[in-house]
Amino acid sequence: MSITSVDRAALVERLSARLSVVGLIPFLLVLVVIGMALVEPRFYGLPNLFNILRNTSFLAIMACGQMLVMIGGGMDLSVGATAALASVVAAKVMASATEAYGFDPGVAMVLGILSSLGSAAAVGLLNGLCSALLRVPSLIVTLGTLSIVSGITLMMTSGMPVYGLPRGFIADFGRALWWGVPAPAYVAIAVVAVVCLVQRKTVLGTYIYAIGGNPLAAIVSGISATFYVVLTFVLCALLASVTGLLITAQMGSGQTNLGGDRLMLLSIAAAVIGGTSLRGGIGRAEIVGLSALFLSTLTNALNLLRINSKKELVVLGVVVVAAVAIDSLGRGKAAVE
Amino acid sequence: MDQVGGIQSAAADLPTTAERRQALAHIVSLVYRVLVPASPVILALGFGLYVPAVLSLENIINIVQQTAFLFVLTCAQTIVLLTRGLDLSLGPSVSMISVASALTMTAVVGSDGSNGIIAALAGTASGLLIGLLVGLFNGIAVAWLRVNPFVTTLASMNICLGIGTSLSDGHPVFGIPEEFNVAGYRLHVLGIPMSVIYAVAVGIALHLLLQHTIVGRSFYVLGSNPRAAIVAGWPRRRLLALAYVLSALLTAVGALILTARAASGAPNLGGGLSLQTIAAAVIGGVSLTGGRGGLSSALIGSFFITILSNGMNLAEIGGYTQMLVMGAIVIFAVALDRVARVDV
Repeated sequence: MSITSVDRAALVERLSARLSVVGLIPFLLVLVVIGMALVEPRFYGLPNLFNILRNTSFLAIMACGQMLVMIGGGMDLSVGATAALASVVAAKVMASATEAYGFDPGVAMVLGILSSLGSAAAVGLLNGLCSALLRVPSLIVTLGTLSIVSGITLMMTSGMPVYGLPRGFIADFGRALWWGVPAPAYVAIAVVAVVCLVQRKTVLGTYIYAIGGNPLAAIVSGISATFYVVLTFVLCALLASVTGLLITAQMGSGQTNLGGDRLMLLSIAAAVIGGTSLRGGIGRAEIVGLSALFLSTLTNALNLLRINSKKELVVLGVVVVAAVAIDSLGRGKAAVE
Repeated sequence: MDQVGGIQSAAADLPTTAERRQALAHIVSLVYRVLVPASPVILALGFGLYVPAVLSLENIINIVQQTAFLFVLTCAQTIVLLTRGLDLSLGPSVSMISVASALTMTAVVGSDGSNGIIAALAGTASGLLIGLLVGLFNGIAVAWLRVNPFVTTLASMNICLGIGTSLSDGHPVFGIPEEFNVAGYRLHVLGIPMSVIYAVAVGIALHLLLQHTIVGRSFYVLGSNPRAAIVAGWPRRRLLALAYVLSALLTAVGALILTARAASGAPNLGGGLSLQTIAAAVIGGVSLTGGRGGLSSALIGSFFITILSNGMNLAEIGGYTQMLVMGAIVIFAVALDRVARVDV
């Protein structure tokens, strides 16, 4: 009898170890998908599936950046503001390059994308330098830059949408289907795949884990924590700007409030539900991508069920707490401070 | 980072570098200890140079009144920050409590405003009850379900936001009884407005709690050394949950006096208050890693933020520029705090 109970304990442990890697997300996802099959046939319409895919792509890219910062032991509240800045900068540059300077639309697009990435990188650099060098908690730094960046974006536009994007940027990219699938999906898959590879196969990925997992050990073994922490913030801002660009291309104009705080909150939720530890050192891009898919599917399902966006917030809140609670309880007593 | 530099240079010139550094740190921290409490005054005087209206008696009374609201809520935030947590749900729960208590009052009060006192009491009770529920939710999730405070309150923030805006479909709730408005805002006792009196009462209560009770002292330990609390065999979880409940009750008090001022239940009352209270607390010297701060930090921080925004308004600085300045100042203040507080 004692042997079986030990076996059973070992089995449970192995199972829960497996589960804690992937988490509950796939099960919840299947649950939502099956549930929707029973109540709402429109869920499976191609337009709706594409809609989910697009939203998943936007969220997954941003959440990957958020995850990188979290693995390094930080947090970025400014991602939504950065995406909006990227959107506005890209739209302004593209519009003025084609209209005022008469550049070729292709050149204008490249200029717009580069300047948008550049402005985002500047925000990331500011976040990273303040939190790594001045050692201000990243929560406060990014709270500050959230306010600063939103202020700048609003000053640039007075809150109005920016029109005049090259038609190709919208038709051949943002709203386009490439081989029958929305274009943003390819970008998202590429981003998740690259981040995955970086995390598993490169020194860079290992160092970021090391710095978040045990900063002192990482520093003593000669890793420049400052450099890699700054790098995570810059990468996060760049990925946020990619999301900003994709949404801009889909909407067809530069937006100052680009989903506002909602996108930032969802990116944190996706990272956290995807098993990323807020204490740093833990997190995997593919699972974060999966939880982005789950969150997008869930919000889509709620929309189709005509649960308004206000009640949707309540559901999202409960889901986030429940998912994280189950996760942290599953990890047992070791997780206590 | 710094540590590496310290280790490498340690052998070569340890005494002089260390001494010099310590002396410098000492001077900086001395200056800083004077600077932080004086900062709201300096700020006000600075604005006063450009816009004399800032220092007019009317405006100073206005500043004190506005600070009273922010102070009560910053006290609520401080309690949680002390335990190494934070409360992002504070702002939305202010909105939710405001709308819910206003709805209760309008339901109880007669069409001719007959039983206004009962309605005001019912509204207050319902506000406090909802505060209690929010606090229990946060406390249970953080203490027993072991969800990170950031995630917990991020979730409850969404929940409060959702409930607060759907209770009245996002419209303000008018028709709250006169009595509530008078008791919460308009009444002056010895020339002092009620909101200030409530704020002083909250301040005294908080100070007594944090400095003179075992529970209050334990909040500091929960933040600065959670393991010590476990080792000492304290009911750590219950204390942690209690911190969230007390914080949420204070939030409810703040929400009620704000509702009295607005004379309506406003679904957007809380807006940026979560972040403002965190900023105020941190500027006043509360540590985000727990265990440091108290009454004075909440007071200094809330005065600072109020004077800053009041001064910028009177100086006719545009809203977008204000956002920029506010963000930069928060980062700067915390960076200064980090530099100045080198183990002294």
